[in-house]
Amino acid sequence: MNPVEQGLTAFERNARTVLEESVRRLDARTRSRLNQARHAALERAQARRPLWRGFTLMPAAGAAVAAVLVALTLWHRQPASELPVLEGPHAAVDLELLADSENLELMEGGDGSFYEWAAAEGDNGASAS
Amino acid sequence: MSEFATLASPYSMPAALHGDVDLTDPSAESRSRALNQFLASVELKAFRIAQAALRHEDDALDAVQDAMLQLARAYAARPAEEWKPLFYRILENRIRDMQRRRTVRGRVLAWLPSRHDEDDEEPDPISQAPSPEPQPVRRLELDEAMGALEQALGALPRRQQQAFMLRTLEGMDVAETAAAMGCSEGSVKTHYFRALQALRAQLGELYL
Repeated sequence: MNPVEQGLTAFERNARTVLEESVRRLDARTRSRLNQARHAALERAQARRPLWRGFTLMPAAGAAVAAVLVALTLWHRQPASELPVLEGPHAAVDLELLADSENLELMEGGDGSFYEWAAAEGDNGASAS
Repeated sequence: MSEFATLASPYSMPAALHGDVDLTDPSAESRSRALNQFLASVELKAFRIAQAALRHEDDALDAVQDAMLQLARAYAARPAEEWKPLFYRILENRIRDMQRRRTVRGRVLAWLPSRHDEDDEEPDPISQAPSPEPQPVRRLELDEAMGALEQALGALPRRQQQAFMLRTLEGMDVAETAAAMGCSEGSVKTHYFRALQALRAQLGELYL
């Protein structure tokens, strides 16, 4: 009796004998499949590692790149240009053009006649004054 | 008591140390070889344990392979002496998953009209034929004892069966068994004692 079996009852020893015998009798096909399964498991675990490691580094790398981009953007950012101020003698006309939807529709017509007319009106107005 | 024995649920596994061991790293090759040796040393018994629980060869093989993969993938970095309880814990989880799926599948199929399953394989007449070699009496005795034990084991509650197989076939002590089962050592003793009682009642004291 080996040391492991010391303290076991006869029933336990018999049961162990039977179970170990059933393991010894596993056929070659089953043993082969288990062997293949083991190698496949180890290979899959190995193959998975670099991919997994890449994914673990991805958030940190992404955060670093994002931080650099934000810093560069802020560093090279031009001061916002000031909004154009309506000044001069044509300010009232410009405002009227912007506020009048009819004039906007004319401008959006795209046939060029409005611009020719506006230019002629300007010339006439200037000469009249 | 092993540190695993303090874990309450069989589904609560120790935190996996992903990334601590790179099996493709040459410095970890020895660990990879050790893991291979460990898996080779337990795979046959693990298969028998899974087979006793699932009573299906292919399912048992799948469960063992899944457990191998999970151990290699997530727990290779753990100390080698922890591999065995971890491996059997993972295996037990796989077995439970498969049993649950089977239960659900059985409930669903119970509502469907019965039909002839075309995938059912006809019994192989060659494998069914008695072996021409004369079998020694001892071998016949073992065959009978094995059949009776498998039948009796199949009637045990799962936890009792698990405790009995891990203690008897795998030769784990109470602490290791508790770690593998995710319960206390006291629970292991109770499950094992009840399993012994039930098996004795069914098989007799000296059945071999």
